[in-house]
Amino acid sequence: MTTATLEQSERRKAWALVAPALLWTVAFFVIPFLYMAAMSLWSRQGRDILRVWNLDNYARFFSESALLRGLTNSLEITLTVTVLSVLLAYPLAWIIAERVPKRWQRMALILAILPFWTSYVVRSYSWLLLLSKGGVINQALLGIGLISEPLEIASNRTATVIGFVHFFVMLLTLTIYSNLIQLSPNYRRAAADLGANAFQTFWHVILPLTLPGVMTGAFLTFVLCIGDYITPQILGGNNELVLPQIIMLQIGRRADFPMAAALSIILMLAVTAAYVLCARWLKIERA
Amino acid sequence: MNRSHSRAASCRLFSSVAAFTLAALAAGQAAAADELNALVWCDHTDPALIEPFEKANDVKVNLKEYEGTGAGLSILEQSQPGDWDVMVVDAVDVHRVIDMGLLGEMPADALPTADLFPELRMEENNTKDGKTYAVTEKFGYNTISFDKTKVDPKDMEDLSVIWSDKYKGRIALYDYYLPMIGLVQLGLGKKTADLSDADMPAIEEKLSAMKTVSKQVSDVVSSQTALATGEVDILVGGGEWITASLAKDKPDLDWIVPKQGAMRWAQSIGVMKDSKKPDLALKFVQYILSPEGQARLATSSCYWGMPTNQKAGEHLADEQKKALRWDDQPAYLKNTQLYPIPTAELDQKMQDAWTNMMQQ
Amino acid sequence: MAFDQQARTSDVLLHQGRLKRVLGSCLSWLYLACIYGFIFLPVAVLVLFSFQDGRLPVPPFNGFSLQWYEAVFADRKLTAALANSFLVATTSSVVACTLGFLAAYALARYKLPGSALQRGLLIAPMTVSYLIIALGLLAVLNTFGIRLSLWTVGIGHVVINLPLCFAVIYASMGDHHINIERAARDLGASDFKVMTLVTAPMLMPSIMAAFFLSVTFSWDEFIIAFLLSRFDVTLPVEIWSMLRSGLNPKTNAIGSLVFLVSVAVLLVLELALFGRSRKS
Repeated sequence: MTTATLEQSERRKAWALVAPALLWTVAFFVIPFLYMAAMSLWSRQGRDILRVWNLDNYARFFSESALLRGLTNSLEITLTVTVLSVLLAYPLAWIIAERVPKRWQRMALILAILPFWTSYVVRSYSWLLLLSKGGVINQALLGIGLISEPLEIASNRTATVIGFVHFFVMLLTLTIYSNLIQLSPNYRRAAADLGANAFQTFWHVILPLTLPGVMTGAFLTFVLCIGDYITPQILGGNNELVLPQIIMLQIGRRADFPMAAALSIILMLAVTAAYVLCARWLKIERA
Repeated sequence: MNRSHSRAASCRLFSSVAAFTLAALAAGQAAAADELNALVWCDHTDPALIEPFEKANDVKVNLKEYEGTGAGLSILEQSQPGDWDVMVVDAVDVHRVIDMGLLGEMPADALPTADLFPELRMEENNTKDGKTYAVTEKFGYNTISFDKTKVDPKDMEDLSVIWSDKYKGRIALYDYYLPMIGLVQLGLGKKTADLSDADMPAIEEKLSAMKTVSKQVSDVVSSQTALATGEVDILVGGGEWITASLAKDKPDLDWIVPKQGAMRWAQSIGVMKDSKKPDLALKFVQYILSPEGQARLATSSCYWGMPTNQKAGEHLADEQKKALRWDDQPAYLKNTQLYPIPTAELDQKMQDAWTNMMQQ
Repeated sequence: MAFDQQARTSDVLLHQGRLKRVLGSCLSWLYLACIYGFIFLPVAVLVLFSFQDGRLPVPPFNGFSLQWYEAVFADRKLTAALANSFLVATTSSVVACTLGFLAAYALARYKLPGSALQRGLLIAPMTVSYLIIALGLLAVLNTFGIRLSLWTVGIGHVVINLPLCFAVIYASMGDHHINIERAARDLGASDFKVMTLVTAPMLMPSIMAAFFLSVTFSWDEFIIAFLLSRFDVTLPVEIWSMLRSGLNPKTNAIGSLVFLVSVAVLLVLELALFGRSRKS
């Protein structure tokens, strides 16, 4: 066997191995996605889907404030959630990695993400009960006299943000922690030797080194948060609808698949924009 | 681990997964002696209602629930002919389904029409060209529910309370545009049957005012939650269907038909034209309309509502009848109107108005 | 005098340093307590009110009752949904792990043209919202007239879990494994044998990690399961329709049960893995 044919047979084998995964992805992800992109350029007339190419759906999106508000609401909520979650999760991951004794770290980390294993739907529902006027939080605060009127924290944007932040703090703590413990203590020692105080060490050494991990986590948060339907639907009280809610309205109430497709493409573009912004920190690499 | 050992282990793992999968699939198949596919509202998914029929006829009833006619039609559009045997739909929308050519004719003498409340026979909705396509099975009201210890019940007698400032931030709006727009129309002193394009500007203005004074727009469960937890004190669009099942734990909840009137909802059930088991499907409809079936449907776990068959009263406890306000029905029937029946364009307009209101 | 002053200053500095440290660690523990409180609040309240004696899972707590747990076990729709979820999660994860492993093996061990592109393609679904994946699949299935079922849900779950399995397994395929594989090949093992009997066992920890991650995601996934199912539904969808059919602590009970069982499974896995890693 010559090297050329050997290489050829090797290559054929490799193709055979990678083919099932590629075919699956193409058949059930790429084709549906392209089909949807095409559909977004059709329109629904009465009971039929008109297969005439046009940009009506997109034009409608930009001209109807109810739809456009969906996007701005989504972006505002998602950005708030992402920033808040990072700000809350970073110190937690830091304390677990630095202050908690080594042998308890694993336990502390598992505890921090344990509620992840309640059902997602149930978790949102639990927050709904917690945050309402007759709920545990308001009743407790009223009971100890900290407030005299119940707080308006249920069925609005605040509730949605709280529900989201709860979930993503767990996720981000995990990502950031795994980043922090990979840092060699030498970095810190070197910084200290050079006369940096704790804050300077953190700001100039630790933070930049963990930034890629934080950004990966933040990007993941962004993607999952902006595409989520359950949390805003259960907690938001149908005030300030987000894009996924509007998409579900299109399919659920009027079977307007073309419009739903157009809105999905817009959602997709928002995620792509976020990706481009974070791209230089994101990479998936082989050990 | 030696090689044969590990191969045996992986073989075992694989075969047990395969066996499990096959067993589960077989179980799914074996259970299906005969199956009936029903597209229904959530009150039909109560096992207490369905199981007696399944046992009596040795059949499995597959249920898919939906909310709002738009959603139901959307599911039908995505299905093949013959996928569905039975459908429950808003009585006022029966003609939409007939016009799509989806509902089949039922023999009128197979149905207990004579036993129904006369106001609920609704021939103009359930029949076309003298043929019966559906029959009304349950009804109730979309009106004002409230916590009588927290608001002045006198205020609830006037529909204009739903856009007044008095209870600002303590009102929830039920998230279904048709009855809600109907209520606004009544509040404006007009009839729902006359609702046309020309009424929309005034309605939109009121919707906007309602949104301003409301706390939330919510589906069934969040409405219930909001009332039960004191998040809101008033639910516009509510009625016995939301308060009856909470009566035991929340006795302070009440509902009223204001002086301008309120919306009456009614749901109909029919057999699909392309059903492969029309006889079984008709049997199911007959069961639902029977006095026993009616009593179970009236007190179903999802929501309560009045049965249309007057004979169901014999199968309901006094307490249940009281929660349903059995004896007050004549007065309510007189002062309530059916949902508006919009054309496709008006329907689109109404939906847009509703979405705009939510997003305001 | 001067010496005295200096000693005192250093004393103060030392004192300040200690104070700062104590303060810092106090703050840390306080923060820890607060955030753990935040994280566990919904779970604690969920479990507490699953024992509520009454229909309303909100304060006041009327007393202890197991009635809602009985209601859960008596609900055949819920138990069927549990079985469906289990079936979909395990089957879709087995498929996703298998496909992911094969692709990772091929891309890590062979030089293929356009391998960066292939990697990107395999990872791509990870950056797309589940809702969009579900919508696309739904539209295509409708067009081809394919009926929705647990199978279609499974297909969707493989789509979302394949990138994850691929990424996890691919990341663990270090070059140091190559020598062992080469040795096995030199001893006469066929490529297939090398892959299944040498590489797969070496990568077992990461394959198992991918599998359990994938089971977790599939188990808890809502929107795909909601849009692509018809009569047989998975647990999250059943809970959703339960929620819509009225307020009662049964939802709390099923939520608490799922939580306790998953935590138990998690602890067993953790102990098993932890125990093994300590031994070696």
